[in-house]
Amino acid sequence: MGPELVQALKYLAAGLCMGIGAIGPAIGEGHIGASALEGMARQPEMVNTLLRNMIIADAIAETTGIYSLLIAIMILFVV
Amino acid sequence: MFATVGKDLVLHLKFGPITVAFNPATLGAVLGISFLLLVLALWLRRGIPKDPEAVPPRRFAFLLALMDFVENQVLSGVSEKLRRSLLPFIATLFLYVLTCNLSSILPIPGMVAPTQDLNVPLGLALLVYVLTHFYGIRAKGAFRHVKGYLEPIPVMLPMNIAGDMGRTLSHGFRLFGNILGGAIMLAVAIPVLLRFMHSPFFTGLFAVVLALMGLVLRRWKKTLGMATFSLGIVLLVLNALEFVFSGVGVARFSLSALMVGSVASFFLNAFFGIFAGTIQALVFTLLAAAYIQVAAE
Repeated sequence: MGPELVQALKYLAAGLCMGIGAIGPAIGEGHIGASALEGMARQPEMVNTLLRNMIIADAIAETTGIYSLLIAIMILFVV
Repeated sequence: MFATVGKDLVLHLKFGPITVAFNPATLGAVLGISFLLLVLALWLRRGIPKDPEAVPPRRFAFLLALMDFVENQVLSGVSEKLRRSLLPFIATLFLYVLTCNLSSILPIPGMVAPTQDLNVPLGLALLVYVLTHFYGIRAKGAFRHVKGYLEPIPVMLPMNIAGDMGRTLSHGFRLFGNILGGAIMLAVAIPVLLRFMHSPFFTGLFAVVLALMGLVLRRWKKTLGMATFSLGIVLLVLNALEFVFSGVGVARFSLSALMVGSVASFFLNAFFGIFAGTIQALVFTLLAAAYIQVAAE
């Protein structure tokens, strides 16, 4: 394989890694946000607690997305 | 590319067989931020009034509001008896990570957020990991703390240890990935935007959108809406002039590209630097408090 092909495949791999890796966290964060909004609408006095827990849960759901971001960065710049 | 993320400055020092890599930009930023926070702490401490009954001065009110935020918002998931002993550490951690994240928007050449360097977030995560054991042993005693790794059945021991390590790693990597991702987005988005700016079509579109935004905004905020609207119109006129003169062959008049680039960079910096930086600092601190709370119960 020529160096151009390797470079092109690297870009393709990084794009696929980030694109596919972002699906899961997006669905998860959508669920979390929807449930938190539902809870907030039902019990407006719980907004502070719900917001805090929503941010924590979002951050945890985002972890796999961050992993794929790191892998994409490694494919692009390190490997 | 790496110049804007600060990775090209890494020094490799050899001590016999061991090579130590460190980044002077990160080191300088970390020391500077520590010094800044130390000065802030001493300044706020001097503002505490002698007489507790008197009306609190502004500086003291700021300190009270800050501590109240940390105690009642960040530490609200922590049990009552642990809250006071965790307050100084968590407040320091929050302020430190927040200042580190926000430092990336300072217009200093070579300035990068220290949290873009993996060593800083991972070091903080390891600090929190050590503290979970400290608080776990203090709350339950060493025997029951170690026995917690054999729950619910002794076969789960490797799983529990792996879970511990994964938790610490993801704690550090989350902050690092978010901040580095934002920095890379900034480093990539602005040159791409500026490349678009060479086409009068995109600048014209941007100017029209800005003017329309101003017209909509005028219904709620009159002066802000008018300012946005006139900025859009000025950009549109500049763009038209640029289009005409570039057709005639006069040198490119790139003032509108400069303006569009700076407006876009303002919003990108506001989102990735201030908004994401604050949220990630909050998340890092909330998770630290949650990990310590889980270990201590």
